[in-house]
Amino acid sequence: MTAAPREDDAARRARLRRLIDRSCRVPCLALFAASVVWLIIGTLLAVLASFKLHEPGFLAEVAPLTFGRVRPAHLNVVVYGWASTAGLGVLLWMVCRLSRAPLRWPGVVLAAAGLWNAGVLLGTGAILAGHGQSIEWIEFPPAAAMLLFAGFALTAIWAAMTFAVRRERHVYVSQWYLLGAIFWFPWLFAVAYLLLGLAPVGGVTEAAVNWWYGHNVLGVWFTPVGLAAIYYLLPKVIGRPVYSYHLSLLGFWTLALFYNWAGMHHLIGGPVPAWLVTVSIVASMMMFIPVTTVAINHHMTMKGHFYMLRWSPVLRFVVFGGMCYTLVSVQGSLLSLRVINEPFHFSHNTVGHAHLGMYGFFTMTMFGAMYYIIPRLTGREWASAGLIRIHFWCVGLGLLLMVVALTLGGKIQGLEMNQAQAPLAQYVGEHGLIDGVRTFFAEMEARSGQVEFLEIVRGTMPWLQLRTLSGMLIFVGHIAFAVLVAINLAGRGSVRPGPTLLGRNPLHPQEVRA
Amino acid sequence: MSAIYYIIVFGLLIVFGATVIAALTWAMRRGQFSNLDRSAATIFDAEEPPGMPTDRFPPPRSPRRRDREAGR
Repeated sequence: MTAAPREDDAARRARLRRLIDRSCRVPCLALFAASVVWLIIGTLLAVLASFKLHEPGFLAEVAPLTFGRVRPAHLNVVVYGWASTAGLGVLLWMVCRLSRAPLRWPGVVLAAAGLWNAGVLLGTGAILAGHGQSIEWIEFPPAAAMLLFAGFALTAIWAAMTFAVRRERHVYVSQWYLLGAIFWFPWLFAVAYLLLGLAPVGGVTEAAVNWWYGHNVLGVWFTPVGLAAIYYLLPKVIGRPVYSYHLSLLGFWTLALFYNWAGMHHLIGGPVPAWLVTVSIVASMMMFIPVTTVAINHHMTMKGHFYMLRWSPVLRFVVFGGMCYTLVSVQGSLLSLRVINEPFHFSHNTVGHAHLGMYGFFTMTMFGAMYYIIPRLTGREWASAGLIRIHFWCVGLGLLLMVVALTLGGKIQGLEMNQAQAPLAQYVGEHGLIDGVRTFFAEMEARSGQVEFLEIVRGTMPWLQLRTLSGMLIFVGHIAFAVLVAINLAGRGSVRPGPTLLGRNPLHPQEVRA
Repeated sequence: MSAIYYIIVFGLLIVFGATVIAALTWAMRRGQFSNLDRSAATIFDAEEPPGMPTDRFPPPRSPRRRDREAGR
């Protein structure tokens, strides 16, 4: 142990932390409240879209609720409405805390949050009204995108200004990730909308820009914010510094170097230059370096502290998120290999992979972060431990069910769809020229014409029904979370004891802080 | 018209690439990568020191259950 610090120093630090939390209060709580509303809407759209895949006649006459609109509406609502809005709140609070500087003029960020949410509302309305762009992840029309860009840019500038007046000299690893995220996302977003919305480049290049964006929005926006939260909350909650700080920094810089090259592996088998895809596959393999650093740090920091998962709701969600990050990244790198990609591409497997990343990793981490941050902003304890447990188990089991069902079902579907017919030459060799050609075409008509394909589609039904079930389970969990947040924001529930929530330290039960 | 967009896109590409190099150089010069043990501990302070967990489930509302848990 180092020498006991002076009492007034501790008091000064605590006062500063209280000041920082109070400065973030209004904009962060507004962002969190909006994100939870979008989460509920997004989950409803998800369950509806999933239901339509095995009951295609359901609500088929209502144009705004047809699958072609509900599905992109779900994606954009959860990505821009829920995940990004929650991410912005977590980012702002963490930047302030890590800079040890209060947020100045929080009203500006509140206005930025308004712009961002207006963009999501306008974009979602446009998609449901049939005015979405038919480009995955970029379905919002450019008008909505401009609102999003303005809102994000304003928030990013404010975060950067807080960093500029920081009192903490060291830039903590989470801060690097956050600075990267606020710097990279506006660039990515602007370039994608320039080349796909305002001045479309056309042809195959559009697909390349599309997946450069679609992949990087995960890699240089959601991943950095999620990892920043894990690298801050895990040590803070268990009270132990990161296992290897050296590895954590290596992880950040290698992520910055490699991730943005990897997008073209989404176009394996597509009509793009092969070298472009190959470069991305190499970069995807290089991603093993940052992923391994996070996995090692995550596990070794937690080692010996896993019993604390019983005590801390934050830790449960964040550790779940960290484990899913390792899983989804390894899976993603392997899926980028051509030979592995072949059966999985264009199957439901991809959907399972996407949810393991955006839900298992990012959303779970954001839940954990919000469980930590919101009581510190409102000064109120969470109303019910039971509801937190319901939330955790419903979404955790729901997600596992979904990923297992889609991964298995998708693999079967992919393998079946790759059952190509024997080549024509083989038929000619076996049956002679005329009979061979005739049999070849007869079988081709029988197999791929209708019968076989429909059988494959029917075979996916049980898996899709399981997915709907998992979606309902997750929805129940989200309702529990929304109720908790609503109670807390309404000012109900017990007042938190002091600024740094510590009812009782499970390691030292005799130590009670008032 | 579209030439302007290309200039913007490729201009940004160079600017952002250069920024990464600038950030890394800045961090090295400022000694951000020296003394990593102390750096890892910057998120702790005297009031929330290492060894002290900072999160737990809210206590049960019924006084009897609260007493039972506290007695553990």
